[in-house]
Amino acid sequence: MSSAKKWVGQALERAEDVRLMTRGGHFIDDLTLPGVAHAAYVRSPHARARIRHIDVRRALEHPGVYAVITGEDVAQSTRPQRGRVPLPNSPRVYAVAYQQVRYVGEPVVGIAAVDRATAEDAAELVQVEYDPLPPVLDPEEALKPDAPSVFEEIGSNVLWHDTFPYGDVEGAFAAADTVVNERVTIHRYASTPLETFGVMAQYEPATDSFTIWGHTQQPAQDLHVVAAAFGVSPAQIRLIIPPMGGSFGNKVRPLFIIAAALLARKAKRPVKWIEDRRESLLALGHAADGIMEMSAAVKADGTVLAIKFRNIENEGAGIDFAGRHNLLMLSNIANCYRFRAISYEGYSVVTNLCPVVANRGIGKPFMCFAVERMMDAVARALKLDRAEIRYRNFIQPDQFPYDTPGGQTYDSGDYPEMLRRALAAVDYEKLKREQAEGRQSGRLLGIGIATAVEPGGSNLSYGMLISGPTQLLSGQGEAARVRLETDGTARVFTGGLDSGQGHATALAQIVADELGLDVKQIRVATTFDSASHPYVMTSGVYSNKFHGHDTVAAIGAARKVREKLLKRAAALLEANPDDLVLGDGRVSVRGAPQKALTIAQVAARAYWSLADEQPDGEPGLEALYYYSNPLAKHPDEKKRVRVQLGFASAAHVAVVDIDPETFEIKVLRYVVVHDCGRQINPGIVEGQVHGAAAHGIAAALLEEFIYDENGQLLTTSFMDYLKPTAADLPNIEGDRLETPSPLTLLGTKGVGEGGAVVAPAAIASAVEDALAPLGIHIAALPIVPSRLFEVAAAGGKRYENARR
Amino acid sequence: MAEQISITVKVNGMEHTAAVEPRRSLVDFLRHDLGLVGTHVGCEHGVCGACTVMLDGRTVRSCLLFAAQTDGAEIITIEGIATDEALHPLQLAFQRHHALQCGFCTPGMILAALELLRENADPSEAEIRVGLSGNLCMCTGYVNIVRAVRAAASTGKAK
Repeated sequence: MSSAKKWVGQALERAEDVRLMTRGGHFIDDLTLPGVAHAAYVRSPHARARIRHIDVRRALEHPGVYAVITGEDVAQSTRPQRGRVPLPNSPRVYAVAYQQVRYVGEPVVGIAAVDRATAEDAAELVQVEYDPLPPVLDPEEALKPDAPSVFEEIGSNVLWHDTFPYGDVEGAFAAADTVVNERVTIHRYASTPLETFGVMAQYEPATDSFTIWGHTQQPAQDLHVVAAAFGVSPAQIRLIIPPMGGSFGNKVRPLFIIAAALLARKAKRPVKWIEDRRESLLALGHAADGIMEMSAAVKADGTVLAIKFRNIENEGAGIDFAGRHNLLMLSNIANCYRFRAISYEGYSVVTNLCPVVANRGIGKPFMCFAVERMMDAVARALKLDRAEIRYRNFIQPDQFPYDTPGGQTYDSGDYPEMLRRALAAVDYEKLKREQAEGRQSGRLLGIGIATAVEPGGSNLSYGMLISGPTQLLSGQGEAARVRLETDGTARVFTGGLDSGQGHATALAQIVADELGLDVKQIRVATTFDSASHPYVMTSGVYSNKFHGHDTVAAIGAARKVREKLLKRAAALLEANPDDLVLGDGRVSVRGAPQKALTIAQVAARAYWSLADEQPDGEPGLEALYYYSNPLAKHPDEKKRVRVQLGFASAAHVAVVDIDPETFEIKVLRYVVVHDCGRQINPGIVEGQVHGAAAHGIAAALLEEFIYDENGQLLTTSFMDYLKPTAADLPNIEGDRLETPSPLTLLGTKGVGEGGAVVAPAAIASAVEDALAPLGIHIAALPIVPSRLFEVAAAGGKRYENARR
Repeated sequence: MAEQISITVKVNGMEHTAAVEPRRSLVDFLRHDLGLVGTHVGCEHGVCGACTVMLDGRTVRSCLLFAAQTDGAEIITIEGIATDEALHPLQLAFQRHHALQCGFCTPGMILAALELLRENADPSEAEIRVGLSGNLCMCTGYVNIVRAVRAAASTGKAK
C-alpha cells in the first residue's frame, strides 16, 4: 500500500532557507502591534534577600510609563506557578519575586513603557530595600541541616530524593574482582540561543482573554501553565509561537510569559519584552551542575557487572525541572553497556543560583561524562586499552532488542562497529605510536574516546516517579492536520515548533511521499498557533521526539487524506479505490494510465462541487490525526518505566594537543560516527550532528557560568561567557551507520541532542590521555588551561571542581 | 524626550531622511524606524555579530554605532544582497550546504563572508575560520558555513 519513498532520504535543500537569508520578519522581535508597549525589569542584585520595601512612585510618574507590577501585584492577580511536573510539596513561585529574592537577576519589578529605553529609564527610578541573607550556592552545602533555606515553606532544600535499585547490585559487588570508585562533577553552562527569549502579550477585557506571541518548546503545557496562573480556561489563551532563533531546551520559562501578560492587562495595551543578553545569561536558565559518586563492580577481564550511582543535581532557585535531570540520567545510565545491575540515588536540591532548564541533552551530558569517565577509570585500573574495555562491555548487535536493568528497551544498533569506524578514521594504532614517540620529546598528544546512546522521545509518565500516579500528564505523542488545497498542493499543521531543525522540510518530504506530490507542493506551517494547530499535551520540540512522533502524526493525517482522495477519485473515474495508483500529482487506474485525473482536479471538486455525491460523506480533503506512542506506559511497581522510546547512538573520537607550558588545548581532529537509523534528510541530520558536537566541545573547554561566593554571576556577557567562534572549533568529521529502528514507521531514531551528550566525555578522555605523563586525572568540567596549569604546578593528580 | 538629530542615509540604494534620538542605535534605527528587520540583535555588546551590516563598504556592528553617527553613509543590509531575480552566490551556497539552521546569525554571517571574499577571493579553510570569527553561530558548529563559503568562493562570483 505504502508507495516507494521518493523524497524521504534525500538531502534536500531546506524550504526555510530563502526566507531566512533574504529578509526578516520571522522572529518575535520582528513582530509588532499598534500601540505596543515595551517592558523592562528591575532585577535582584542579591542571591538571597528579604524584600523590605519597594517604592515605584517615581517610575510611575516617569513620562511614557504605562504600568508597573511588583510581587504584591503578581501574588494578588495570579496563582503560584504550577510546575511542569507538579511537586507534592511545591514551593510558591511567582512571575516576579514575592517578598523574597532567590537568585541574582530574578525579576523584582516589571515596567511597561512607550519604548524599551523609557522602560529602562523608569526601572532606574524604582527603589527597592532589601535585607540581604546568606545564600546557599553549593548543592552539598544545601543538603546540610543548618543550611540557609531557599524556599522556607518546604522545610528543606531537597525538592526531590529517591533511590532506584535495579537488579542484584549487592550480588554483583560480591562477585566482583575489584571495585573502582569515582567522583566527578559537571558545571553550569547553557547553549545560549542567539535569539534571546521574547514575548508579546495582548489582553482583551471584553472576553477576559489573552493573545500571546512567545517562546516555549512545549506550547500546550505552557499554555495551560499560563491559564492556571490567571485562573482562566485554556480557551481564553491563544498562544502563537513564531519560528525561534534557536532554543536548545532553554526557552521554557512560562513565568516570563505570565509577567508580560499581566503587564499587558495592567497597561491596557499590548506589551512586548525581548530579553537582553545580560538578562539571558543571568536568568533564562542553565544546565544543572551536579556531583556524581560512583562505584563499579568489575571482573578481572574488564566486565563491569554493576555500578552504584549517587547524584546531586543543583536545580538553582527553580521548581520547573525538579528531578528531571536525575530521571533522564537514570533512564540512560546503562549507556551502551551490558551492566547487569544498577543502583541510582538522586537528589534534586534548590540553591540561590539561576533556575535550571533542559539544556540540549538535559542530564545526559553528565550521564555520559560520568559513565565514560568510569569506563576510562576501569581501563586504567586494569591496564586495558580504553577502546578494549568498551568492546568487552558493549551490548552486542545480536542482543537487540535489549532490555536494560532500569526498564529501557534499546531498539537497534551496532556499537562495536560504530567505535571501530570512529577509531579507524583517526588511525588509532598509528596515532598511539605517534603519541608514544611524541612523549619522548615532551609532546602532550591525547586521544579521547566516548560512546553514548542518544534517546529519541521521552515518555512523560516518568514524571509520576516524582509527582505520583495521579499526575495527568503521561506518554508521548503529537498531533497533525493535513489539508489538500483546491490546486492540489497540501498544507501541514502540527503541534511541533520550529527552532532551526528544518522540520518543515522534513515533514514536507514525508507528506509528499504519502500523497504522491512534489515536495515543493507541501507547505508546512512554521508558526504554531493554538487557535488553529492541533496539539496534545506532549506537543512541541524537545527530547528528540520529532523522528518518531511528529512524523507519525503527519503520516497518519496524510494517509487519511489520501484515502479520502482515492475514494473521491474512484467515484469520478468510476473505478474501485483499490485499483487506483497515486503518484507524480496524478491518480490513475492501474493498467489504464489514460484513465486519470490530476490530484488538483480531484481536490478542486472536493471543495467547489458540493452538489457532487460525497463518497466520504463530507466535502473537503482535510484530516486530523492524534498519535500517542503505544510503547509509553506508566511506571511499574519496581519504579521501572520505559522513558526513552528509541535509542540512537554515537561514538566520538577526539585528538588533542596540549601545550606543555601553557596547557592550551588544541583539538586537532574530531570524529563523530553516529547511528540514527533511517534519515529523512541527511543534510539536516549532518547539521544537527555538527551543531550538537560543537555545543559539547564548547561546554567542555570554554563555557562556564561562574558565580562568586556571594552568588553574583561573573559571566554576564559574551566577553566572559565564552562562546566558540569558527576559529575555536575543529572541523567535525564523521560517518554514519544506519541500523533502522523497528519501532518507528520510517525506521528513524532521534537525532539532535547526541553530539552535546558525548562530546564533553570525549574531550575529557582526550585531555586525560594527553596528560598521562603527568598522571592528571580529569574529574571535572570545564577543562581550563589556567586551572590545569595550577594543578600541574602543584604536582596534583586530580583536576576537580574546576573553579568552585 | 531628548533632542532629535536629523540624518540622511542611503540604505540598500534608497535614501532615507529621519530624525533620531541621540541614543538610537543603528540597529534599532534599521529595524524599528526603517522596518529592515533582517538585521538581528544577538548581544548588544559587539561580540556576536548578528547585527553586522555594511557601512560604506565595510562590515560594522550596528549595535555599537549610533544612528546619528551614520549621517551621509551608505548602508547595505541583508535585504540588499539578493536581486529580485536571483539569490547571491553566497546565499545559494548557504542553502546548498545546509549552512543555516535557525537562521538568526545568517544575515550577519553572509555579510561577513561577503567582506571576506572581497578581500580574499580564494580563502583557505583556516582563513575562512579566522575571517568569520567575529560572528557567532550557535547552531551549526560552523562546519557547513565554512563549506558554503569555500563553495561560493570557487564560483568566482561571490563578491
